[in-house]
Amino acid sequence: MRWNSSASPQARFVLTCSVIWVGSLLAFNQSPAHPTLSPAPSNSTPTPQPVLVVIDPAHGGSDPGALLTPESPEKEITLAVARRLRQELSARGITSQLVRDGDATVSLDQRAAIANSAYPLLYVAIHASSLGSGLRVFSAMMPAAGDNRGPFLNWDAAQGPFLERSKAAQQQLVTAIQKTRFPVRALMAPLRPLNNLKVSALAIEISPTTGDASQVGATGYQQMICSTLANAIASLVPLSTAKTGTQP
Amino acid sequence: MNSRPFVLLTVCLFVLTIALSLYVWQLRRTASDVSPVLNPPRAVAPPGTGPAKPATLWVAHDKPGALRTISISLPLSSERQRRAAELLRALLNIYSAKDSPHPLPSTSEIHSVYYVDPGLVVIDVNSALAYGQTSGVLAEELTIASFVQTLSANQSGILRVKILVDGKERSTLAGHADLSGIYDVAQVSSLARQLSSQ
Repeated sequence: MRWNSSASPQARFVLTCSVIWVGSLLAFNQSPAHPTLSPAPSNSTPTPQPVLVVIDPAHGGSDPGALLTPESPEKEITLAVARRLRQELSARGITSQLVRDGDATVSLDQRAAIANSAYPLLYVAIHASSLGSGLRVFSAMMPAAGDNRGPFLNWDAAQGPFLERSKAAQQQLVTAIQKTRFPVRALMAPLRPLNNLKVSALAIEISPTTGDASQVGATGYQQMICSTLANAIASLVPLSTAKTGTQP
Repeated sequence: MNSRPFVLLTVCLFVLTIALSLYVWQLRRTASDVSPVLNPPRAVAPPGTGPAKPATLWVAHDKPGALRTISISLPLSSERQRRAAELLRALLNIYSAKDSPHPLPSTSEIHSVYYVDPGLVVIDVNSALAYGQTSGVLAEELTIASFVQTLSANQSGILRVKILVDGKERSTLAGHADLSGIYDVAQVSSLARQLSSQ
């Protein structure tokens, strides 16, 4: 079609708008699918953003979790540990956010949504058990679910693209904790919401070293574990910021 | 005061008392006849019908938090669904024994095992197993890995496993291990390797 200089101003306006609209659409399609996960490179020096760790005290509200002792439901222990861990991280200059900071019922989907929307460096779920000894650090065991369909992430497999990063963080944490000679194991677990998270995600299960479940509820034991964990998490920070620049 | 109405009332009340007692006795007798239906005895798993065959069981051990294999000889059916259920019941016999390495209640039962699709197996357990399971991430994944590995070690072609409780989908086994999805046998094998290395 030839440009007709005698076309009316209205027609020229409509044509110009159409060209701008098509151009912007093409430009948008060339940008990354998840711009928040892969920020576009910029010539200017990136502004350092505080490193964020999302701490998720498991259970809560109507879900008491395991009954470690008659007076210590798991939900109370996980909340106490999460609060201590927040303090320990804060003392090391690391900002953290608790998924629940009281006895509230939070569904697994809500927990995943809170963590996904916060874009943390690391998500850590806290659990407690009377079984075994010391700490267990879990990464997600992916279910036999379908793959992502086009632009839509499969909710059950959202962790898939981030699993390698989670396992690297798991290995680093375990190595750091092993240096303190505290018993620790790295395992995978079919544990929600780990597989619903699109960030590095781990779960930590605390168990007694003496075989007495009441040890998990003891202030001194919790403090020692939180200090160890905070040191281990702090060891992740320089490496990850050096690798990925600022975390979104 | 005229005593005749009083005597009449007393007699009436006495007759009423006798009648109500008979009625209650009748109700109690009916209830005792019905109770066996309301509380049926625990289903006893039929013994394996086939000849004894070697089998490998992946047994959970709580103390170190590990899986260990044992080789035993079991009478196993030639029909694969029944054989799968017999293998899992052999595991439950170990778990419900007195010195169990991974205690589960003696009322735990495998209702059925179904081969739904090529490669997909559905295990239907009873709610006593779920409610009697020690709650915890490690404790629950030991049970699941033990079941899945025992099936896949003794029957070829199993790629995925779904676990139901009383025929229904349940979100978790006992508050931790996810039962809403389908287990990938390859993933469970990786987990079993981690759990065996302890």
